[in-house]
Amino acid sequence: MRFRVVHRTEYRYTNEVSVGHSIAHLLPRSTEFQRCRAGSVVIEPRPDDKREHTDYFGNRVVYFSLQDPHDHLSVRATSEIEVWARDVPEPPPTPWDEVRDALRSSTARELLAAREYVLPSPLVPVTSELAAYAAPSFTPGRPLAEAVVDLARRIHDEFVYEPGATSVATPVADVLAHRRGVCQDFAHLAIGCVRAMGLAARYVSGYLETEPPPGAEKLVGADASHAWVSVLIPGWGWLDLDPTNDVPVDDRHLVVAHGRDFGDVTPLKGVVFSRGGDHELIVAVDVTRID
Amino acid sequence: MIPGTGLLEPYRSDAAFDELVAPDGRVRTHWSQVIGALQQLGPEQLRARHAEVERLLRNDGVTYNIHGDPTGLGNPWSLDPLPLLMGSEEWAGIEQGVAQRAELWNLVVADLYGPRELLHRGVLPPELVFDHDGFLRPWDGVTLRGPHELFLYAADLVRGPDGSMVVLGDRAQAPSGAGYALENRVVVSRVFPSLYRDAQVHRLAPFFRALRGGLAAVAPEGTEDPRVVILSPGRFNESYFEHAFLGSSLGYPVVEGPDLTVRQGRVWLRALGGLEPVDVILRRVDGWWCDPLELRPDSRLGVPGLVEAARRGAVSVANPLGTGAIENPGLIGYLPAMARHLLGEDLALPSPQTWWCGDETDRAHVLANLDRLVLKPTSRGAGQSSVFGWELSTSQRDALRRRIAGEPRRWVGQERVEPSTSPALLGSSLEARPTIVRTYAVARREDYLVMAGGLVRVAPSPDNLLISGQSGGISKDLWVLASEPEAQAGLWVRSDGAPPLAEPSMAMPSRAAENLFWLGRYAERAEVTIRLLRCIIDRRNDSAGDLNPSVVACLHGLFTALTHLTATYPGFVGEDADARLADPDDELRSVVAATDREGSLASSLRSLLAAAHAVQDQLSSDTWLVVSNLERELDQLDQPSADPDADAQIALAGIIKSLLALAGLGMESMVRDPGWQFLDAGRRIERAMLLLTLLRSTLVPVRDRGTESLMFESVLKAAESIITYRRRHRANAQLGTLLDLLLLDATNPRSLAYQLDRLAEDVGDMPRERQTRLSEEERLILDASTRLRLADLDALGTGQDAVRWELDALLTELHDLLSETAAAIDAHHFTHLPRQIMVGQPGLLDAGNGDAP
Repeated sequence: MRFRVVHRTEYRYTNEVSVGHSIAHLLPRSTEFQRCRAGSVVIEPRPDDKREHTDYFGNRVVYFSLQDPHDHLSVRATSEIEVWARDVPEPPPTPWDEVRDALRSSTARELLAAREYVLPSPLVPVTSELAAYAAPSFTPGRPLAEAVVDLARRIHDEFVYEPGATSVATPVADVLAHRRGVCQDFAHLAIGCVRAMGLAARYVSGYLETEPPPGAEKLVGADASHAWVSVLIPGWGWLDLDPTNDVPVDDRHLVVAHGRDFGDVTPLKGVVFSRGGDHELIVAVDVTRID
Repeated sequence: MIPGTGLLEPYRSDAAFDELVAPDGRVRTHWSQVIGALQQLGPEQLRARHAEVERLLRNDGVTYNIHGDPTGLGNPWSLDPLPLLMGSEEWAGIEQGVAQRAELWNLVVADLYGPRELLHRGVLPPELVFDHDGFLRPWDGVTLRGPHELFLYAADLVRGPDGSMVVLGDRAQAPSGAGYALENRVVVSRVFPSLYRDAQVHRLAPFFRALRGGLAAVAPEGTEDPRVVILSPGRFNESYFEHAFLGSSLGYPVVEGPDLTVRQGRVWLRALGGLEPVDVILRRVDGWWCDPLELRPDSRLGVPGLVEAARRGAVSVANPLGTGAIENPGLIGYLPAMARHLLGEDLALPSPQTWWCGDETDRAHVLANLDRLVLKPTSRGAGQSSVFGWELSTSQRDALRRRIAGEPRRWVGQERVEPSTSPALLGSSLEARPTIVRTYAVARREDYLVMAGGLVRVAPSPDNLLISGQSGGISKDLWVLASEPEAQAGLWVRSDGAPPLAEPSMAMPSRAAENLFWLGRYAERAEVTIRLLRCIIDRRNDSAGDLNPSVVACLHGLFTALTHLTATYPGFVGEDADARLADPDDELRSVVAATDREGSLASSLRSLLAAAHAVQDQLSSDTWLVVSNLERELDQLDQPSADPDADAQIALAGIIKSLLALAGLGMESMVRDPGWQFLDAGRRIERAMLLLTLLRSTLVPVRDRGTESLMFESVLKAAESIITYRRRHRANAQLGTLLDLLLLDATNPRSLAYQLDRLAEDVGDMPRERQTRLSEEERLILDASTRLRLADLDALGTGQDAVRWELDALLTELHDLLSETAAAIDAHHFTHLPRQIMVGQPGLLDAGNGDAP
């Protein structure tokens, strides 16, 4: 299936700001299941400098800067993505505790590289509270894939999706305590739980096609960035899970970038110099099926 | 043992190895010449040389700031004049070992930010690298030009009980101390000139030449004459002296993050006269703090966009930002394996055995042996320092055990090494102290050059094992003794006879110009304040007990002038002024000594010193002599005293002497470059404005003849023009002639006309974009000069309703014009950075006040 994604971000500053440097994770990477056919980032006012590079995680990053004072900034990322159905064999029934042990001791390249995602990361500390929450899904000997699917389902069932209940700065511990949040919080929560069990999990940012099939319920995540979680099944690959919606991640999930947590893949961040004043931020995402 | 002087009589070491005395009680051969010379000098001379060392260090303004100590800013550097000696042959082995280690670490850095084979092949446990604060993912794939990713490396060495050297620590982030080593060498060789000459000591200059050459070599491709800056966290950093010293020794401007900006993908210096490109940054800010865009978002010490500029190869940063990843003692245990894997060699210089607690077996060993190990955190940071397991109580040990168990990856245990002792010269005798040596390696095109010397530190007390600048250690020079004399060469001359490297001198950072401008202003403000204070003291002394109304009125006039001049309102004007005028002592003392009161003499001096420290690299060593005097005098100002008035006069006399010396140095020892123009302009503006304030507050009110006569005399004194006046006019002071001398006489260096002339010259020479038009500040000064010349002096003298309105108007107008001139200089030449803000998604996160690392 092919999609066109338009992701608009607009800052309006009450007072002019000078010299802005920004980096954007807005152009989708190509993966096993998708290819980014065309992608562009159009910035207004026209930036003095703009360059794309690939980051540590293999994501596409656009750096740009504006030298002159400006009172608004608009960043419009347009991309065409072809996505294939994840027509893959069922994950092997390897018990999760066996995987945990292999991650500790194996010298296989795949496992050594994945150990980065077992560690806590800046936005996802690994705590005993997370381990306690995860525990019921991780009964001894249970196949890893089954355990994480169960975890994602529990998060979906036991937490309330509530925009505005949290912000980027809300710690995972608060999300766990108050049982509410948005996709990013649930992804962080799931990552923390998986890591607390000694397994590898990473954060995926992207989009979800929101056009509901006839008669079906409209899915959460419409017209916004979406985020989910990916867990390593050794010998098989990374298994994506969407704890926000508890639906299989398939050809309606479009990947932009992945990292340890949100901090590695922030869609747009920047440094400006300001004499004070407030700002307004508008983000709008449109995902349309082309064929 | 050499009998006689007693220098060695009490010398005894409890350590297994002593640098000076062999187990058989004999002085080791390579020490005998130096010890013999010291004995010949005798105790008196030794004490004198020690005092000379302290004097020289003080005069050079050598300081080391201690963290967490508000009074720790500007702590004097402590240097033992007796160097540590090492034979050439032994040093050759150390040199080779340090170079090998630098090369090895270099390959590790290159791998960690490149293919990461060390992790993928299981040579290193991934967590050891991935969970370390120094591993900077945004730096991935960024490379330095040339074959090395590690530019500068330092090893902390101690000699163990068996006499062999071990590396106790590796420094790769932004190794400090090389500048202190150079300063130590300069001082010690001045204090022991013949000893230094006769001992045939290896020079440090080749190292610093290699440093300069290396910085030029790593400059981005196509750069003909690389422009190099030293990036410093600023004057509150512990080793700021060193940044300034290296800057002035190597000829590089010392800059702070806000002095730099990234445009079109490259780095620029905000310099006087515009932006200047920067090609190479010698970095003294920890990597994590260097770019708020891609690294620590709340850092104010960095440059937004720096990582991107380096990624493009448009700027070279040495050391590269990611090198902190190897400043990780957890790597030590894997070093032998990495040496074999990467170099195919065994380590020449070992480290004490080290266990990383992220490994289960290692952790078990560490936890079982806490009481005999040194426990080190893997990342250096606030509250992170080494712990000696054997010094802990049972409960402390339990707490540490819990801490390690909670974050095992962040700890290592290291075998304790009992360092050798070396002789410290205390007074006139020697005492054995545990000793650590830091030496440096710098990348050359093919290999690493190791400094033939280093920075030695000895424990502050015989049993203290934590030897570091932060814990108040004593430093020493390291003399590597050559078997034959070495050709002497300066820092700037190349040993191969080639002409010195041609490098463009960079324009001055505009922040430096701003500090020089304020240095001038505060120096003048302090000087004028003291002059007026002395007039007041003299007037009071002259009239002791005399309650003549003229004297009282004159004194009151001077008191109010003091308040206006120092802007220490309400003071002697405004509310409750009468009470203070009747009993002025407390207020006067406060205007002199209250550091926290803006406008007070102490506060002006403090601001002067702050400005001087901020431009330490721009000032001559003689200037530091004066600055350090001023520092001591300022300290003494608020000391309690039995006879406050007498002591105050002595203190003021001392301070004004230093201020005059400072002014003299400015005139006689500074090149007339833009820096000088700003310093001088600051002085001229301040002197002119204070003169106008003084005249306005003393001469505008019309008083009776007796009072005016006293007042005129005091004003002339305060304006340092009384002698000239008396020589020219026999009679009592008259207003007209007084105004002539103080306002119009362009030959009087204290007159307003003189300040305006000088200011016009200074401002005319300042950098600007268009030469054909007058700048705003030039126009303002011209305006002031014209108004002054056109003024009708006769009319100024007449008053109405006890006020000289015309005079008041003229003085006010001129004051306003000068104050606009200052504002125009500020607006056109200095950097005005708004607040740096991190714009995140979806919210604006205020960066807060970035605290120092």
